[in-house]
Amino acid sequence: MALNLTINSSNPPLGALLTAEHVKGSVNLSVEEGKDTMLHVSDQVQFSDVNSITRYLARVAPALGLYGSNMMEQTEVDHWLEFSARRLCAQSDLSSALGDLDKALALRTFLVGRSVTLADLCVWAALKGNGESQAKPNSYPHLCRWFSFLSSQVPFSSVGSKWASKISASKISTIK
Amino acid sequence: ESVFRGTADLDSLLGKDLGALRDIVINANPAHPPLSLLVLHGLLCQRYQVLSSVHVHSSVSTVPPPLLSCLGPRHIESYARQRFQLGFTLIWKDVSKLQMKFNTQSMCPIEGEANVARFLFRLLGAEPQDPVAATQMDFWIDMAVFQLAEGGNKERAAVLRSLNSALGRSPWLLGQEFSLADIVCACCVLRAGQTASAPANVQRWLKACQNLGHFDCVYPLLQ
Repeated sequence: MALNLTINSSNPPLGALLTAEHVKGSVNLSVEEGKDTMLHVSDQVQFSDVNSITRYLARVAPALGLYGSNMMEQTEVDHWLEFSARRLCAQSDLSSALGDLDKALALRTFLVGRSVTLADLCVWAALKGNGESQAKPNSYPHLCRWFSFLSSQVPFSSVGSKWASKISASKISTIK
Repeated sequence: ESVFRGTADLDSLLGKDLGALRDIVINANPAHPPLSLLVLHGLLCQRYQVLSSVHVHSSVSTVPPPLLSCLGPRHIESYARQRFQLGFTLIWKDVSKLQMKFNTQSMCPIEGEANVARFLFRLLGAEPQDPVAATQMDFWIDMAVFQLAEGGNKERAAVLRSLNSALGRSPWLLGQEFSLADIVCACCVLRAGQTASAPANVQRWLKACQNLGHFDCVYPLLQ
C-alpha cells in the first residue's frame, strides 16, 4: 500500500525528508507539501512527529539497515534520535552537545556501525537546521569532517539545497 | 510466569559470549529513580541469571535505603561471576541525564531512560515485529518520557487524555499485548503522582499493570 508523507513546507522536517529520499527506491512513498507534517500509513494510522516518521520508514525498508544491523546498533540509533530531537534543538549554547558529538565521531565514519543510519540522517538534519554555524572546524574537527562528508553526498546535498534555505527563512521570520 | 514469550537468546542478540560477564552499567541520579528500568530488571531476572548490584558514587552523599535495595537482596554468590548470564550494575551518581554503558568498545554510552528501557526490552526478545506496532510503542515511550515526566501541567493533562482515549479502545496501549509502552507510561504516571486524579480508563489500566506483579518494585520508591 502507498504511503504518503505531507510536509509543512514553511518548517520542513529535514530528517523525515532525508529518510524519505533514502527509502523511496524500496517503498512506495509519495511526498507532498502541505500545512502540517504527517506520514499517512492508513486511515487508522498516522505519525506526525519526526522521530516516529523516520522510525517507521526505516522499519518498512529493513534491507537498507537504516535502524542498524543488530540490537546494539538499534539502541545507539535510539540514543542519537533523542540526542538530535532534544540536545541539538536547544535554543541556547550547543557547545556541550557538539563536544559530545565530536568525541563520538573521533574514530568513526558514520555515527553507528559502518553505513548510514537514522542517527546520521537526524543528527545531520538537526545541525543543518540549527547548529551548523556554531560548529567551527578548529573546535570540532571530527564533527566537521563527518558533516561535510555527508553534505557532499546525494541525497544530503539535494535535500540541503532544496530545503535548508526555507529553514533559515522561517527562522528569520520568527525572530521578526 | 513472564508475560513475554519471545525466544530470546543472548548469543544471538548480542553476539558470541567471549567469557566475560556481559555487564549493563547504569548511572542514575537518585533524585530521579528510573522506575521503568527497575520493572525491566525484574523481567530480565525471570528470564536470565542476572548478577545485580547497587553502588553509590562519591558524587552523591546520601541515598535513601529503598534505593539501595531496589534490585532485591544482594547475591551471596557474587564471587562466581561466570555462573551468571548478565550483570546489572546500578550506580547512584550525580548525573544530569541517565546513562548506560555496555560493551563500550563498540557501543557509545546510551543516554536517557527511554533508550535504556528499549535496550533492556530488546533483551527480552519481546519487541513487536510489525512496523506500525513497534513505532507506536516508541511514540508512547517518547510521549511519556518527554511530556509526562518533564512537561508542565498542561502537557501532562494532554498526555493523560491521549492515554485515556487509547485505553478506552483496548486493554493495553498497543492493543491486546502488554508492552514496553505500558511499562514506561505507567511508571511516568505513577512518578508524576497523577494516579488519584487520572481519568477512568487510565486508573483501570494502572490497576491491571499492578496486578501483573512486575511493578511491585516501584511502589516502595514512590513514598
